[in-house]
Amino acid sequence: MSVVAIGLSHHTSPVELREQFAFADVKIPDALKSLHESGIASEAVILSTCNRVEIYAATQLEPAQAFVELKQFFRTAHAFENPLGEEIYTFAEPQSLQHLFKVACGLDSMVLGETEILGQLKDAYALAHQHKHTGARLNKIFQRAFHVAKYIRTHTNIQRGSVSVASVAVELAEKIFSSLNERKVLVIGAGEMSEKTARALLSRGARSIIVANRSPERAQVLAREFGGRTVQFDDWAAEFEKIDIAISSTSAPHHILDRAKLELLMKLRKNRPLLLIDIAVPRDIDPAVNFLENVYLYNIDDLQSIADNYLKQRREEIVRCEKIIREKVEALLEAKRIQPQMDTVCMADSDANKIA
Amino acid sequence: MIFYGLSSAYSVFLWRRGFRKDDRANYFLLLAAFVLHTVAMFERGFSINQCPVNNLYEATTFIAWTIVAAYLVIGLLPRLRFLGAFASHILFAMGVFALMPALDPPHAVQPDFSHGLTSLHAALILLAYGGFGLSAVAALMYLTQEHDLKFHKLRAIFSLLPPIQRLERVMNSLLVSGVALLTLGLAISPALLKEKYGVYFKNDPLLDYAIFIWLFYFGLLIAHRWFGQGGRRFAWSTVGGFTFILLTFWGFILLSQIHQHP
Repeated sequence: MSVVAIGLSHHTSPVELREQFAFADVKIPDALKSLHESGIASEAVILSTCNRVEIYAATQLEPAQAFVELKQFFRTAHAFENPLGEEIYTFAEPQSLQHLFKVACGLDSMVLGETEILGQLKDAYALAHQHKHTGARLNKIFQRAFHVAKYIRTHTNIQRGSVSVASVAVELAEKIFSSLNERKVLVIGAGEMSEKTARALLSRGARSIIVANRSPERAQVLAREFGGRTVQFDDWAAEFEKIDIAISSTSAPHHILDRAKLELLMKLRKNRPLLLIDIAVPRDIDPAVNFLENVYLYNIDDLQSIADNYLKQRREEIVRCEKIIREKVEALLEAKRIQPQMDTVCMADSDANKIA
Repeated sequence: MIFYGLSSAYSVFLWRRGFRKDDRANYFLLLAAFVLHTVAMFERGFSINQCPVNNLYEATTFIAWTIVAAYLVIGLLPRLRFLGAFASHILFAMGVFALMPALDPPHAVQPDFSHGLTSLHAALILLAYGGFGLSAVAALMYLTQEHDLKFHKLRAIFSLLPPIQRLERVMNSLLVSGVALLTLGLAISPALLKEKYGVYFKNDPLLDYAIFIWLFYFGLLIAHRWFGQGGRRFAWSTVGGFTFILLTFWGFILLSQIHQHP
């Protein structure tokens, strides 16, 4: 019995196609049952996320035959009638196992090295296991995939650092403040990016969010969502005495905060550190404020440059990760080859003992 | 000294690598140095039957010992372990300075100090200087990290150095400990002077120097606590204060009459 993988992902198909092949969670047990009853797979796991739909199957069929049957299953399950070409990829052993391990490690993800996929893969496996569609073969392979993902996370830099602007901002804040708990954040201009950044800060423990926006309705919506409060757009400067982090993303055509203005505000703050994140274009904050003591100003390019560097570091780790995965898959397949021989020897010993 | 030297050389390597990985090698090098240092100090202490703080060599090595001992405790926290990379250069320099032969007269001359209170007085003051030394090391780390953050150096975010606010807290705590120890050390002085010279205060360069140091650090703490003098200015003052001690302490010991051997 060999393990095959078939599917489509963000690498091979657009979202319009992926959404047609997606399996709703409630329908997965029936789909697995159908795979089993049709004789295509003895064991199977279906992984269906926004970026990929994949089936991992342990089958008695020859891989070529299994791929034909699985493709047909895909089409039938989703009533898809158009022809399919390279959008669907297929892997036989050992590439199927290598692919599963790469997916578990986030090497095949849209955001290289992300960890969300590991949780999704665990959920997919748990669902199949719960409905008794996994057996000795897939259990062992999936457990090993989770183990390898953990190993790679701790022994390489593939998941190190932040690759989004919002999480880089959080990381910067953690380099300045002992802890993000109890930190107060002021959001000036409630754009999408500032919302993401504020959300990331809140998720790491920042205490309260104060929103100032030209449109008070939008400010109120955001403040309600974050459990914070709003201030009049013209009054945001009055909050500087209490806050620790300010995120600015207004559409103002000029600087809304300059050195002279901040110098006065810093005196009120008794020189406590202040992190300014200016994600507006054109910039909201005069770059000269960075020369003030205890002020740390980062604009969108600074943050993007850090995120790009992290991504570069992660890409440099891919070769190392792939080597580890190849070795782990070889070890797994080697163990599979040895096990039947061991079983044969044990049976022979047992027979010999009976004869004796 | 060999281990301090190795640690100092290894620290240059860590610096160039940008402090990206938690590295225990430097911690263990300093631990090895500390063990040997402690053994050497014990041997000397037993050989003269008192705390080895009686001449400039012993005073210098005692301050270095205090710095490394405090580092080994603070360095148990992974994010503060890199303090060793900053401390090792100072420790190595102090060790080289202490090895100068003139600083350690032959022990045929019995030291002037004759009872436990004297040893306690000297030990407390030197421990205080050690605390100021480690605070200066934390300040150097702060200045490095603050500079990198300010000028958007990638090293600031890629390194495993602690947040600057925590470093400022460490600096402050070490200065508070140093001032407390110096206060205790100086508080013993009148009793010693009364016993030896029959007065509670005697004008002496080293005593005046210690009072000046106390005033400087006490003022620094007040400015930090009540006048918002934090951050870079606080760090530079801490580094400046200890640099002053390193450059002048030996001179004032030599000028002092009441701290000379007979």
